[in-house]
Amino acid sequence: MTTLIINDKEYHLPLQGHETLLEVLRDQLGLTGTKTACQDAECGSCTVLINKKAVLSCLTLACAVAGEEITTIEGLAQGDQLHPLQQAFLDHGAVQCGFCTPGMILAAKALLDKNPKPTEEEIRQALDGNLCRCGGYLKIFDAVKQAGENLAKTKG
Amino acid sequence: MLLNPFKFHSPQKLEEAVSLYNSLPGVRILAGGTFLINNLKLLKKKGLKTPENIISLRRIDELKGISCHKKELSIKALTSVSELYSSLSLLEYSQIFKAVSRNLATTPIRNMATIGGNLMCRYCWTEFPALLIALKANLHFIATDLKEEAVPVEEFFKNSAKSEKILTRVTLTLDPQNCICYQSVRKSSSVDIPLLAVCIKTKFSKKRFSETIVAVNNGTSFARRDSVLENFLNQSECSIKTADESSQHLDTSLYDASRDDYKEHMFRVTIKNTLRELMTGRHP
Repeated sequence: MTTLIINDKEYHLPLQGHETLLEVLRDQLGLTGTKTACQDAECGSCTVLINKKAVLSCLTLACAVAGEEITTIEGLAQGDQLHPLQQAFLDHGAVQCGFCTPGMILAAKALLDKNPKPTEEEIRQALDGNLCRCGGYLKIFDAVKQAGENLAKTKG
Repeated sequence: MLLNPFKFHSPQKLEEAVSLYNSLPGVRILAGGTFLINNLKLLKKKGLKTPENIISLRRIDELKGISCHKKELSIKALTSVSELYSSLSLLEYSQIFKAVSRNLATTPIRNMATIGGNLMCRYCWTEFPALLIALKANLHFIATDLKEEAVPVEEFFKNSAKSEKILTRVTLTLDPQNCICYQSVRKSSSVDIPLLAVCIKTKFSKKRFSETIVAVNNGTSFARRDSVLENFLNQSECSIKTADESSQHLDTSLYDASRDDYKEHMFRVTIKNTLRELMTGRHP
């Protein structure tokens, strides 16, 4: 059995070795917030955090990250309370079709955890691996900036 | 399933990895995975044979980190491109590593990709070979008997980047006199694969170039040194005139001009700009 720690919860799974983390999250655990799109490391829809860093789950073997800290979009809200990034995306109308949103939010979370007051260039660089086919980048950048300010206020 | 089945191995010690690598059939090494996993998907799509065994190096702590002892900088093979981008442990080379790392792909890829994987994946157009040739780096491989072998990076790429051994680290000698500049040309800002790249390292001594190394990457064959240009620069004064004349002193066989006639011209411009940046001190 392989132990995966996802959103602070342990899952013991009979993995064979060749399953990608993307497949395990969606097909075995029902965590479908992580999206399948290009499956070719081009779009960032499958972004998750591993040990607080944004990585692509379509390029990650699930067995290779056993015991490491995996965060998916399902792990951000606390009950009914949205994460400040999720709230900022709603407030700024940064969600259109929503397909890229989980990846965008997780990539932004990795940035804000390190740097709560990023410049626009730093935001653009942190999200450079996430494509939005609706083209709503400016609102997304605004939302990330706002979330950083809100988080900084909360931390006081 | 995106991948064909294989047996997955995740050793915690380097010697265990070496033993597995030497004993298992149809084996491939997994470092960051950004090249290998996509390659395995492609092989499956094309119905081609895929490896029976994959050895992940991820849990081997001996292969992680950057350290400096006396004047030798050691970058372990599993150091990620993001770590190269942000590490202050690279000392006087941190700015040039930052500049080169930033050219490579996107943030999540840089978080995953490792320097070891980048050098061993045998892609001609990757960013690090030209930089490491200019810095006269050595690659350290571990053999079956666990003895380490150092190979100059220039020699490694001359031999088509082939090795049956596991890369453990890259070493460089720190030299505060080194001035170094790297420039690459891309088709557009959204395409991360460079068409060509030039890295020039030199020392300025009494307004002259000395100990100059020019490494060029034409995107279609492994990075090489241009000794014709190096000789010209080492006999020249440090001046804008030299930068302008440099494009007349190239080893033209390196520049892949047969396939793309624009490429040699782009190289001439890039070399001139790189030298100008070196002389004006605006290089990273």
